[in-house]
Amino acid sequence: MQRFCKALLIAFALILVFALFPSAHANQKGSENKGRFYFRQTCKECHTKGAAGGEVTPLNKTMAQWRAYFAKGMHNHGKEPLSKYLPADQLLDASTFLTDHAADSPQPETCGK
Amino acid sequence: MDRRKFLKFSAGGAAGAAMGASLACVHPFAHAPAKAAERLEIPTTCEMCVNKCSVIAVVEDGVIHKLNPNPENPKSRSMLCARGNAGMQTVYDSARLKRPLIRVGKRGEGNWRPASWDEAFDFAAKKLSETKEKYGPQGTLWSSTESFQEVFFQNLGSALGSPNLVRHPTLCLASVNLAYSMTFGTVPSFDLLNSKYIIMSGANRLESFITPDTMDLIESAEYRKAKLIYLDPRFTVTASKADEWYPIRPGTDLAFMLAMLNVIVGENRYDKEFVANYTVGFDKLTEHVKQFTPDWAEKETEIPAKDIVRIAHEFSDAAPRAVYYAGRRSSWYREDFHTRRAQAILNAIVGSWDREGGMVPNGKIALGEYLFLPWDDPTAPRVDEMDKNFPLAAKGDGAYLKLRENVIAGSPYPVKAWMVHKQDPMNALPDQSRTLQMIQQMDFVGVIDIQMSDTAWYADVIFPESTYLERTDPVEVLSGIVPVVVYRQQVVKPAHDTKTTLEISQGLAKRLGLSQYFDYTMDQWVAAQVKDLPLEMPLEHLKKHGVYVPKDFPKYGSTLNPDHRFVTKSGKIELFSERLEEAKYDPLPVYHAPAQPPSGKFRLILGRRAYFTHSSTGNNAWLNQFAPENRLWLSPGSAERIGISDGDMVEVASTVGTARLKAKVTQEIRPDCVFMLHGYGKKAKWQRLVAGVGGSDAELLETAWDKVSGNAAMHETFVSVRKV
Repeated sequence: MQRFCKALLIAFALILVFALFPSAHANQKGSENKGRFYFRQTCKECHTKGAAGGEVTPLNKTMAQWRAYFAKGMHNHGKEPLSKYLPADQLLDASTFLTDHAADSPQPETCGK
Repeated sequence: MDRRKFLKFSAGGAAGAAMGASLACVHPFAHAPAKAAERLEIPTTCEMCVNKCSVIAVVEDGVIHKLNPNPENPKSRSMLCARGNAGMQTVYDSARLKRPLIRVGKRGEGNWRPASWDEAFDFAAKKLSETKEKYGPQGTLWSSTESFQEVFFQNLGSALGSPNLVRHPTLCLASVNLAYSMTFGTVPSFDLLNSKYIIMSGANRLESFITPDTMDLIESAEYRKAKLIYLDPRFTVTASKADEWYPIRPGTDLAFMLAMLNVIVGENRYDKEFVANYTVGFDKLTEHVKQFTPDWAEKETEIPAKDIVRIAHEFSDAAPRAVYYAGRRSSWYREDFHTRRAQAILNAIVGSWDREGGMVPNGKIALGEYLFLPWDDPTAPRVDEMDKNFPLAAKGDGAYLKLRENVIAGSPYPVKAWMVHKQDPMNALPDQSRTLQMIQQMDFVGVIDIQMSDTAWYADVIFPESTYLERTDPVEVLSGIVPVVVYRQQVVKPAHDTKTTLEISQGLAKRLGLSQYFDYTMDQWVAAQVKDLPLEMPLEHLKKHGVYVPKDFPKYGSTLNPDHRFVTKSGKIELFSERLEEAKYDPLPVYHAPAQPPSGKFRLILGRRAYFTHSSTGNNAWLNQFAPENRLWLSPGSAERIGISDGDMVEVASTVGTARLKAKVTQEIRPDCVFMLHGYGKKAKWQRLVAGVGGSDAELLETAWDKVSGNAAMHETFVSVRKV
């Protein structure tokens, strides 16, 4: 009984957290490394220089702009959902990659790379 | 080769067997053909230093006859330096690593037995797996330095799940890279050829690194009459060619720069339009630099105030064809980042940005990529705790000295296996005894290299890599004022039982269950890289020319549009940095006077000569003859005071170690400093030309690092000197 009460309490606390912080999912961190792969594999199909979608790089937007873009979740000027191209987990990775390399992100250069 | 003398270094039968393997030397001219030789000229890319010049190998009947410069590369042009010419020795050096070796006896005894590749792979994979099993993948450490195949080595460490990949920048230019990145959002090149006024702080460009870029400086200074101002406690070759040399008090360059800012800002000599359009924080800078007067700086630097004022005037008058050159030199002091920031800010406020003769953002060329779904991210944090200790630094590079201290302390967790790729931490890191301590607490050390480095000497297994003339590498973009793509292709077959880093990584990956991340060939990798280059047949072009040079460079002014967004938090050039302030660092450069050597002691300062690349080429016979040993420079007054004459053997001692070498008594150094060249006093007896010859600075240097970047601070050690 005690264990059941404890579990109930934890569940309630979690519900409260999600209710109070609806953007928690938006702040979730995906894999930058995998995101780079999905961006290159899928997005770059059309978003290169001279291609139909025009060139897109992480530097096209600031971190806040990328976050807003993925929160909205729409592609092609709002005409279709991003989920048409990538499932949710891969979208999270791609958004992590793009945000981490955005125009105002801290990304010091290094030697020999 | 005197076989008897050579064998004398080895002790025991096992060592003899291993060394015997090394005696099967291939002399470049030993296979003189009876019939007419087949002569090939094969373009490739040098690997004797970091400059990556294009070369043409002249090969006769499978043997390299000579290396020539490749004039098609605008970076290297019709020039090949001493190191470039001596590169063929890496193939034919009798002391090179020729087959896998497994240690016999204690670490550092130098006893080895030859092993097959399978045996070496099995041995290393077993040790790495055991470490992973016991401590998690974070218990493995992967160290590397820049090279075209470094990516495969790093991928192996990452695929295994280790967060602990550490690269060379915190022994190199991390403070420069971070300071310029924090200011401009990028690290620019310096257009020395077209500059009219150049200031250098200790970047001994005319002596330490002789490449075509060096020739630009000579062309600029000697023939186009640019003015060169040089600050260095030592009278170097660069000092001898400068218009003015100031033997500045060590560690006070920031005071000189702040006083220049005081003059240029205070007298309205900055580029007002540029500052208004492209920078943020000028008001705060103006208030900040008021305190740093030339009179104050004279007391700190020992450079007369009137000269500081005049140099500030001349610098601002010559702008935008004026640069305070960042140069190629490592960090020297704990405040190095702020010194580099002040330098960047000076260049910015006079508008020497993206203009001929100033700093120029690097041109880049996009390469394709061989795509494969990567591994899961590591679950553990880095052992050097970059987020906590150096939150603004390049996390993927790590911070070498902090990492070493944490590994020795076993904090925040144990690291017990160390794979090293073509790096020699025993000589590259200050305080060799600590590096040795780190090695000794490892359960396993594996090294990939072409020669028996001091770190290899203490390893458990050594994987011999094929030299750059024996292998094909991924292509590389050399960004710069004129960016190029360079290709390194195999010139001759491996002379011994060696492999490429890709093959070594694949061999280990197979045994570690990670083959899915290495399921490609070098040809496939290169083909994916070059497929989108704007050439009809890109790979064929690179095979034939060794280099691809786009036609639309140099470009000046591409960022000089008020709408241009710099890759900074504000989108502008950041004179004042909010990001630094948020991370609890000084948002504008603040001067802290460096400690001075106590009575009877000297500051140990270091440097390089263009014959040697750090500690990696000292045993190259063609290069070693230029400087067979290092000596300790000290001034005549200091020498007389402690009873030392030129050529005397002296013992140099710091709080962490001692070194013995001969004295060079010279007026070309300040009396409060002593100097020694890097790369001598080696431990590995296979490096017979430098083993036990001269002194090792790594044994003397104390552990210290720049607070913001984590870069090793190489000039913070005081030493005593006595005759022995």
